[in-house]
Formats: sequence, structure tokens, C-alpha cells
Amino acid sequence: MRSPFAYTPRPKPLQLASPAAAVTYLGALVAVAFLYSNPFVLLAVGIAVVLAGRLAGAWMAVRAALWMGLTLALLIVVVNALVVSRGTTVWARLGEWPVFGQVDVTAEALAAGAVLGLRAAVVMVAFAVYSACVDPDRVLRALRPLAGRSALTATLVSRLVPVAAADAARLRDAARLRGPGAAPVGKAPLARRLLAGSLDRAVDVAATLELRGYSLQSTHPAVAVTRFGAMRAKKRYGPVGGRRRSRYDRRFYATGVLVLAVAIAGKALGANSFSEYPTTEIGSGAATLAVAAIVAFSGLAPLRRSPRRTIARTPRAASTSTPAGVRS
Amino acid sequence: MPGPRAAVAIALLFSALAAVGCGLGPGNEVEGVDLTVTRDYGTVPMLHHQVGDVTESDTVMRALERNADVSTRYGGGFVQSIDGLEAEESVDRSLDWFFYVNGVESTVGAADYPLHGGESIWWDYRDWSAAMRMPAVVGAWPQPFLGGYEGKARPVGVECMGGGAACGEVDARLEDAGVAVPSRPPDDSIRVLVGPWSRVRTDPAAGQIERGPQASGVFADFRPDGAAYRLVGLNESGEDTVELGPGAGLVAATRRFEDPPVWVVTGGTEAAVRAAAQLLDASSLRDHYAVAVDGKQETALPVR
Repeated sequence: MRSPFAYTPRPKPLQLASPAAAVTYLGALVAVAFLYSNPFVLLAVGIAVVLAGRLAGAWMAVRAALWMGLTLALLIVVVNALVVSRGTTVWARLGEWPVFGQVDVTAEALAAGAVLGLRAAVVMVAFAVYSACVDPDRVLRALRPLAGRSALTATLVSRLVPVAAADAARLRDAARLRGPGAAPVGKAPLARRLLAGSLDRAVDVAATLELRGYSLQSTHPAVAVTRFGAMRAKKRYGPVGGRRRSRYDRRFYATGVLVLAVAIAGKALGANSFSEYPTTEIGSGAATLAVAAIVAFSGLAPLRRSPRRTIARTPRAASTSTPAGVRS
Repeated sequence: MPGPRAAVAIALLFSALAAVGCGLGPGNEVEGVDLTVTRDYGTVPMLHHQVGDVTESDTVMRALERNADVSTRYGGGFVQSIDGLEAEESVDRSLDWFFYVNGVESTVGAADYPLHGGESIWWDYRDWSAAMRMPAVVGAWPQPFLGGYEGKARPVGVECMGGGAACGEVDARLEDAGVAVPSRPPDDSIRVLVGPWSRVRTDPAAGQIERGPQASGVFADFRPDGAAYRLVGLNESGEDTVELGPGAGLVAATRRFEDPPVWVVTGGTEAAVRAAAQLLDASSLRDHYAVAVDGKQETALPVR
């Protein structure tokens, strides 16, 4: 079973763009989510990442991340409401609790928790879109000259986490397939089995990496000085010093920079107006709405223009039942 | 569909929750509270408000936040600023917001101090470099004798320690304020010690005054003057400022550890004690930490 977060190559702008462009674009949206607490702007970031994922064909990843993110958001709302008794609008009094003391559920604590939860959900969806749309091998290739080991670690994690998720799903299926008469399998045995499998796989991966020479010092393409060495490095790592540019790169770079610039300028102009306590005040001024609108529209960046169609205007085609439009 | 057992369990759960004080909404309205905000040991008034819409879920912090512009720190437990006046700390001085409920310093934060109605809440912005802990003040008279402290009404005991006529004066003023004074007060009562300092100083709680403001929270000192004692008023740095003399009386409050607060109505002489007893009214004590009187001259302490 394939994880919905696993990278799937598709002929879509976000997948075709270079990793740096895609990371700039998605990273800008994540940065806005951390820069702002205003719910309108956070909602706009959410719309943008969902739209981006949808247009990039990663709807399964977006849906799964939304489900997980909203569950986490709900948990954050509940915990915040129980732990924080600040705010002046008391909705419920839950009495004296052993660890928390007097627990009063206030509207302000719920709103503050909702904002924290919304931020967590938005960031999760953004990472889901990244995971499903950005090729980890290309990320590794792009980062190798800068930090080879870190890039390798990051790529392995981004590969192995979906694999572990798929393993978990397979184990659950296997447990279910034992039939209704079988004793139920607890989460702990499943987690133990999953951990053991992951460790086995980690050993295999480590052995493979060693066999392929990842432990050697002189793996950097820059040290391949001989012609033969350069050719070998090129074959192994791709063109040395060259980047395969995509025609969509400029669009994603521009959108990322624009979103970040607008967010920073908006923050300076007071667009992040939001106060949780003692009473919730949500700013909805022109600056806030403008930032929210621009951020939400940035979700259209992965939109692919439809190829131009030319109508074959031959008298015969027009008069017969042949399809009128023919791809040029 | 939940069965009858589940319905009974749910009903029992809700009953238990209701029994331990749980419920929807802010709860029932209770008596209003008196909210005062001052700075510099009560000398500069900033806000005085009768807060009417108090409910049983209200805390000192909520009452303040509803009536002033407040910013907090440490997760909302401590007040950083009220109406823009911020706490600050420098090499020379440390200024912060402190609050008293019924004239008693709280041992918990304002957000954790529940209101029961009728309390007198006093927020003061002051320099605490000379004395951080000032456990009790007289500025909420006739509290805490009427409403108690920390949410519980407490009995009041007047201990006459050679105060003579002043003891009767104190009894009368308490009764005028609506305070019942039992003839044999229990151990946990708020005590009022009435008498000359030579006698009152033998009480462990009152004796803290001789150890300075750091120990007692009272910016006054009695110095031996032959067989008598003369009263000295201190400024907020704890330095001698006003020589009030043996004829001066003092009304102050202090507290030893977690014992109930102790008020002292004292002076160098019996006449001074009587003069001090006559200070026991709201007009003389209101928003003061302690008050000294020399003849007709009343001096709020610490001296500024």
C-alpha cells in the first residue's frame, strides 16, 4: 500500500519545478503561518496550500494531512481549553482538577487553541504537499554540494517515513485478515513489530549505502579532477554545477518572494492584529484582508495553463460528425 | 442507542460534576467587589471601581482585566502592566504590581485567586527593593475583619495589652464597622493588639516590626528612648525619614508565616495608643500600608 504522502511524479508545474523553487514557494507559505496569528491570514495560508496541493494533483496527500491536521487541531483546542484558564468569557466550570487546579473553559482559550491548531494543520498540509510533490532525489542532488550527509539523512527520512506508514497499514490489514475469531492485536505489539521492521530496514539501507561508497571521503563531484572521474561523477550525480531549470521555476520563485514580502510588509503595517486575552480581538482591517487575499491567491501558482487548441475550420469537419476540435 | 445503564452512568457523572461546582456558563452572580488601582504605596490613585458583574467563576485577574487595560507575563499569571504602567527592574530600583485582597497579600497569582463577592481588591505599583514581602496592609479597613481573607471569613480577636481606654475605642470602632468581636476568640482569629509598644513588642508577630520592613512589611520603627519608645517613620528605601517621637501612634498590619494577619494599634505612650485607635476609620486608613499619627498630624507610611 502506497502512502498518500509518498512522492508521485506527475506532469504538473509543482513537480516539474526545481526543488529550490518548490521549497521557496511552500516555505514562504509556512513562514507566513509562523509569522501570523491572525485567523484570516492563517485561513488564507490554509486555502493556498490546499489549492496548491489540489492543482498539483496531490489531493490524497492534502486530504490525509487535513484529516490528521484537523484532528491535531481539535486536540490542541481541547488541551488549551483545559490548561489555560485565561480570558474573561467563561463558558464552563469544570471544578478543581488534580494537576490543572481550577479549570474554567473560556471562549478566549478556545479561540487561542483554535488559532494554534489551525497553524499546526496548515503547516502539516504544506509539508504533505511538499512530500507528495517534490522529488526527494532531486532535493538530495540539490543539497549535496552544501551538506551531503544532512541531505542524505533528510532524503532517507522523507523516504522511510512513508515506507513505515505503509508497513503499519500492511500490519493492520494482516491483523484484520486473521478473522473475527482471532484475539485483537494491541497497539503495542504492532508498534514493536513496526520498530523491529524499521530497524531491519535501516540496517539494510546502511549496508547498501556503504556498498555504494557513501562512506568514502572523496565523493564530492568537485574532487573528480580527471576527465574519467568527471564523467563518472556526472553519471552518478548529474551535471556538475549545472541545474536543470524548469520553465515553472521563475513563477514559484516570484510567488514565494512576493508572499514573503507582502507578509513582512503587512506585519509592519499591523496586518497581524490579533489578541487572544483577556478578550479575543481579531483584526480585519484593510491590511489584514489584503495580505490574506494575496496569500490565498498564491495557491493558484501551480495552476497549469491548458494547452492552446486550434479549431480545424475545414468545411468538411464542420459539416460532418467528426469532432470539431483537433489538438494542434 | 445507549442503554439504560449508560444513561444512568451519564446522569450520575453530570450530577457528580454539578456537585463539585461544575456547570455551564460563568455561574451565579455574587456580591460586587471593590477594585482600587494605585501607584507608589497608594499615594497616586489610578482607578477606583465598584465592580458589579461578578460571578462565581471570577478571579482577581478577570475582575481587573474587565476594568483596566492589562498585559500579563508568565502565561497570564502575573501582571506586567496596568493602563500602560509597566513593571521595570533596574540596578537602582525594582517596580512591580502587587495586589491585596481584603488587605492581605496573596500567596497565589491573581489568575488563581477566586472571588467570592464583597472583597476589596487593591493593586499597587511600588518599588520593592527595600521590602518585597508586605504581607498585610491597613488600607482596606474594615476588611479583613468583615470578609476575612483567602475566601474564608475569620473571627476577630482584640487583645488589650495595657491599652486602657484605647481598647474600648478599638472595640467600638470595629462594632461600628459591623464586625462582631467575640469575648474568647479562637486561635485562627485575626488579632488586633492594642497597647503601648513596650508591651506589644513582646508578641512574636508584632515584634517583627523591630526587625525592619524586610521582616514585617511595616515602614516604621520604635527606638528605645529611656523607659519609653519613640516612633520613627521610614521611607520606601527603609531609611529613617521622620522622627515622630514618643507621643506618636501607629496603626499597622503584619503577618508571621502563614498565621492570620495581626494589626497593631500602638504608640510610645498610652495617649499615643488612644490617638492610634482613633485612626480606625476608612477616611484615615484608605489606600495606606500603615498610618502614624502625631497629635493631629497623620502620616502615611512609608514616608514620601
